[in-house]
Amino acid sequence: MSGPGPGPGPGPGPGARAGARRLGTVHAEWTKLRTLTSTWWLLSAVVGLTVAAGVAVSGSLTAGACPVPAECHEDTVRIGLTGIWLGQGAVIVLAVLAVSGEYGTGTIRAALAAEPRRLRLLAAKALVVGALTAAAGAAAVAGALLAGRRVLAADGFPLPALTEGPVLRAAAGTVLYLVLTALLALGAGAALRDTATAVTAVLAVCYLLPLLAGLVSEPEWQERLLRLAPSTAGLAVQATANLDGLPIGPWPGLAVLTAWTAAALAAGAAVLCTRDV
Amino acid sequence: MTLPETRDRDRDRDRDRDRAGAGPASPPAARDGFPQLLHAEWTKLRTVPRWGLTLLGGIALTVLISFFSAAGSSVEIADQDRPPVPAGREGQQLVDSVGFAHRALHGDGSITARVSGPAGVEPEQAPEWAKAGLLIRESLTPGADYAALMVTAGHGVRMQSEFARDVPGSAAASPDTPHWLRLTRTGSTVTGYESADGEEWSEVGTVRLADAPEELSVGLFVGSPDITRMERAFGNVTVGQLGSSATADFDEVSIEGGVTARDWRHTDIGGVSPSAGDPGEFRRSGSVFTLTGSGDIGPAPTDTDLAATALNGSQLGLVLIAAVGVLFITAEYRRGMIRTTFTAGPRRGRVLAAKAVVIGAVAFAAGLVAALVSFLLAMPVLRDNGHVPPMFPELALGDAAVLRAVLGTGLLLALIAVLALGLGALTRSTAVSITAVVVVFVLPLILVSTLPLELSQWLQRLTPMAGFAVQQTLPRYGHVERLCLPENACYPQGPWTGLTTLLLYTAAVLALAAWRLRKRDA
Amino acid sequence: MDGNEAQIEVRGLRKRFGAVTALDGMSFTVEPGQVTGFVGPNGAGKSTTMRILLGLDRAEEGSALIGGRPYRELRNPLLAVGALLDAAAVHPARRGRDHLLWLAHSHRLPARRVDEVIEQTGLGPAARRRAGGYSLGMRQRLGIAAALLGDPPVLLFDEPVNGLDPEGIRWMRGLLRSLAAQGRAVLVSSHLMSELEGTADHLVVIGRGRVLADTSVRELLAGASGDRVEVRTGEPDRDRAMTVLADAGATVAATGRGTLTVSGLDAQRVVALLGGAGVAFSGVAAHRATLEEAYMELTREAAEFAAGPSGPSGPSGPSGPASGEDRR
Repeated sequence: MSGPGPGPGPGPGPGARAGARRLGTVHAEWTKLRTLTSTWWLLSAVVGLTVAAGVAVSGSLTAGACPVPAECHEDTVRIGLTGIWLGQGAVIVLAVLAVSGEYGTGTIRAALAAEPRRLRLLAAKALVVGALTAAAGAAAVAGALLAGRRVLAADGFPLPALTEGPVLRAAAGTVLYLVLTALLALGAGAALRDTATAVTAVLAVCYLLPLLAGLVSEPEWQERLLRLAPSTAGLAVQATANLDGLPIGPWPGLAVLTAWTAAALAAGAAVLCTRDV
Repeated sequence: MTLPETRDRDRDRDRDRDRAGAGPASPPAARDGFPQLLHAEWTKLRTVPRWGLTLLGGIALTVLISFFSAAGSSVEIADQDRPPVPAGREGQQLVDSVGFAHRALHGDGSITARVSGPAGVEPEQAPEWAKAGLLIRESLTPGADYAALMVTAGHGVRMQSEFARDVPGSAAASPDTPHWLRLTRTGSTVTGYESADGEEWSEVGTVRLADAPEELSVGLFVGSPDITRMERAFGNVTVGQLGSSATADFDEVSIEGGVTARDWRHTDIGGVSPSAGDPGEFRRSGSVFTLTGSGDIGPAPTDTDLAATALNGSQLGLVLIAAVGVLFITAEYRRGMIRTTFTAGPRRGRVLAAKAVVIGAVAFAAGLVAALVSFLLAMPVLRDNGHVPPMFPELALGDAAVLRAVLGTGLLLALIAVLALGLGALTRSTAVSITAVVVVFVLPLILVSTLPLELSQWLQRLTPMAGFAVQQTLPRYGHVERLCLPENACYPQGPWTGLTTLLLYTAAVLALAAWRLRKRDA
Repeated sequence: MDGNEAQIEVRGLRKRFGAVTALDGMSFTVEPGQVTGFVGPNGAGKSTTMRILLGLDRAEEGSALIGGRPYRELRNPLLAVGALLDAAAVHPARRGRDHLLWLAHSHRLPARRVDEVIEQTGLGPAARRRAGGYSLGMRQRLGIAAALLGDPPVLLFDEPVNGLDPEGIRWMRGLLRSLAAQGRAVLVSSHLMSELEGTADHLVVIGRGRVLADTSVRELLAGASGDRVEVRTGEPDRDRAMTVLADAGATVAATGRGTLTVSGLDAQRVVALLGGAGVAFSGVAAHRATLEEAYMELTREAAEFAAGPSGPSGPSGPSGPASGEDRR
């Protein structure tokens, strides 16, 4: 017996050990993801689908409506990165499963036994999933841009240099877009817990909202939807030409996506911290 | 059914449901039959309230989106100065404006001419459907009944009538070499003949003019349909109608029969085409007539497919229905219930078939209800918003095309649900399967309006989204150049071709899943 | 390790799920160096208490402390507490060893430690296979390996022998005993008292969310009315024997045909007393109450209350469902 009810005892000393432990949670999350083969399949899918779709779309540009390729005012960078629409599907699956899979299999209890501070667990997950997504996203974007350029150059399209500001913005912004989408899905997974529900919800937000924008014929509402939907707003960052024609600017668009992500993560954190598992 | 009714249902409904298809081994003969398998799978589907709610959600989403997109639509009258559009007998929109040099023909008779053309007016080239030839009309009013025999710039000799009818003649005839044409009127029947040399004639076709008066206008005509210029870049489509003109020379012109007026008169039918700007021109030099004209005689279909618009909520509703299709099998894997299922029905291919039949039938019913309600709710709203004849066709549920679209939407959703089931059996992963369905169906629907047109049309032809072609109701005319843009929900292939494409995908995925089920451990 | 670190202290826990009161003022302590059995019928609140101890569920009232701290404040929880809650809770696509590895990484434990616990639990080569293909027994061993990973002074096992074969059950008992012998506090829940017989030193018996008894096994058995000695004597010596034994403080009942039933004295003492008084007897048989009997007696009252009109069906008959408590 250790005296009458100690109550909420004094917190643990800050000490170096606690710091090391926090990295331990990150390490554990990394081990968890690394030891599932599905993780590597999904990451390969992100790169493979993005590059393949980029090449296919770039290749199809030859027979466009414009007689001379050089006069086509097509945004070749953006076209080469179209495959992100496919790649993000794999990212969503990966990120949702990183949380909802734990609930589905029950390992969430082991995870919380190892890291009882739940926000830290969520942060560690976000860090690992975000970093993996960033790595896969960077490979996907680089691959799509380079492969797309080869195809487009062979067809005689004028290509902006890779070091030009808008191109760099499109490339870095696309990677950032993928990371933010992954975190959005992660937050939704933590908030909704059930894989099917969470995946459907994230897909609805990322794919159905843009589709809905296409179905709405009122131009004002269409514009509004395109500005508010996380994927259309976020992907504005891919534009390198004709920026005035966009429903929303590149960086404001990413800010919209960031707001969605923040909301999803906040909801996920709230559910994780308040509900029993 | 060998349902263990004695079980304490209230205690653990879930577990009860798990075994619903699995009953104990009491009467082994009874559980072998396919109907029993169907019954078991139906019981499984029916006893999960969440799935029923999700299906209802799919219906509701379809109806809501259809309704709101109809409510948000409006018609913009682009050109108020234009004279009222001529309408055909069924109220459809027509175009009837060509350059016409004519005389009056009383009673029977015929007109013959040798046509050189049509050619473009320098420096422009004539569009493929530029036409020059002979025309018999009941009157000069736009929309009047007619028979026309012509040489086209790109499609050989044609005989056209009733705006929608188009009969091909010799394909070899080209605008570069003179070609002989003849129209003969006998009573209300007009017959067209063509000849390469003026000696050997062959019949092209016959046209019956409805209540033809004694006196008709016969003569020479030149038309050149508007060229559609389109600029398409990432969701922004600018479609411009650019007028075009064509010119043709006619010689050896002769009219036999009761010609009442002596002189040739020239009329731009339907007035001067506003897109062409310049009035047509008629010149005679000796026996050679030179006619320059613009416009066309034919149907003028709209771009907006009202039925497809009234049904477009199904593009979103499909996601929820597909989710149930996926869960119908992946939920069994997650809970290990699949072992029970396969113990009850050891022939796994048949179990999958039973699941496919059940989810397909349920999705078809859901899709049909969703399509019916969507159409009935959205059509009046569309009409109130100005989608009325003659610019838009009047559609009723009883029309063959509409019935096809509504029933087809049910079939479409059934096929999507079965495809989702197959994907679930193949991947065993809920998340991957649902995402695959959404990416396969929804992503093309998003992207087709932004990708290059050619690629978009290939996506429409080759990806499972082809199934949505079944929702199209607009008639197609071979002899009118029409922009078929994905953003107008126009598919390059026919309705049933599209649905068959999806059917093939579904069958392939299901076959693959059945093969895999048999090979792998449960 | 100091004694305080290896102690579980549960004070006044209250929790309800909707209309159902799961915990109704649960209080007990678990001391180091012994195996404490945590017994109660299904739904008594065992798993809920354990989940609250691990910070997975929140109690509405009360505290659950490990080494004097709530779980959520532990700096290195796996080094303080090892727990086996639900053996099935492993990702089926992950190898058993990898499951242990991520837990080890969370606390910066070396991979060597993982191999040690694999060895210790007899998981052996199965550790390199995917957990989805494990038998229930192997999953149980994997879960125990995970609990032992941090070499913690406190161990919580929820129904650890579920799904183990007889050999596995024997192994488990030995393991629990040896863990306690190393000075750890070991809390083992079970809905079958017989599973704890010969393993537990101390018992916390609960029913309907509260503690019915918090006692050592010896006291429980001694206190149980079933603990008695039967003495066979001839007719003339019977009255004499009754007097001698009753004078020594026992309760003696004549059950006819020369048999006395004595409670309150152990057999050795009975023999000594009778011998000293010169009473002849033909036999002394010690009838020890089983833990099961003692437990049934204890929980009968609570069970009758709970079982309602269906009558006093034993709350813990061996025929009861073998699943763990399920609160959802």
